[in-house]
Amino acid sequence: MLILRRRAGEALIVGGNIKITVLDTSDGAVRLAIEAPREIPVLRSELLQAANANRDAASESSTPQELLAMLDGKKSEGGPDKGKEAMDNGG
Amino acid sequence: MKTETKYFGQIEYDADDVISFIGEGLFGFEDEREFLLIPFEGNGTLFCLQSVKTPGLAFVAVEPLSLDPGYDPVLQPEELRAMGVEESGELAYYSLCAVKSPVAGSTVNLRCPVVINGETRKAMQAILEDGRYGMRHLLSDIRRQEEQEETPC
Repeated sequence: MLILRRRAGEALIVGGNIKITVLDTSDGAVRLAIEAPREIPVLRSELLQAANANRDAASESSTPQELLAMLDGKKSEGGPDKGKEAMDNGG
Repeated sequence: MKTETKYFGQIEYDADDVISFIGEGLFGFEDEREFLLIPFEGNGTLFCLQSVKTPGLAFVAVEPLSLDPGYDPVLQPEELRAMGVEESGELAYYSLCAVKSPVAGSTVNLRCPVVINGETRKAMQAILEDGRYGMRHLLSDIRRQEEQEETPC
């Protein structure tokens, strides 16, 4: 891994056609300007994590009813049996 | 109008019921723009976010305030503008759950709520800056903490 120190106004060139300029820093955050060819996607890394979390959420391996029973059970008395009752009586 | 759903069979819905995602939509599901929000039977805090065009695509969503009464999402000014409101509090928030087996391993994404404007039915998925909120909180943990607070030893 390459680690560099850059100041506001200074830039980096990656691969000859991507330019990353440090605009300013404040409150512990850095503002960057990225100039790259249109075909190169630039993503905040948390976007990828968010997409992975969404994909996980799209394929559940227990039923929503089981989840509801768990949430309801915890809310009432805490026991799993109570949870089942709450679900049967609910709705 | 009618559509097939993942959990409720065929259902009937009005055009007004449809929630339309703006911008990037749901991360990883950018082609899916229209959803229905259908409550599961029970205590009213668990919902199904059902794709209109893909019957097999549905998310389990929970109202984060029902898990954490102190949940306090703050959107960026440009996000508020895109959603057509002035304050974060004017919008409704739903957190997607990853439902696992065993179910106690299920997690909730408090960092990336689905944000809905109830008047315009516009929706977006945000990534909150607030470091308190992660993408995979154990649901069983959240509830356990709550219980401890409720019943001092």
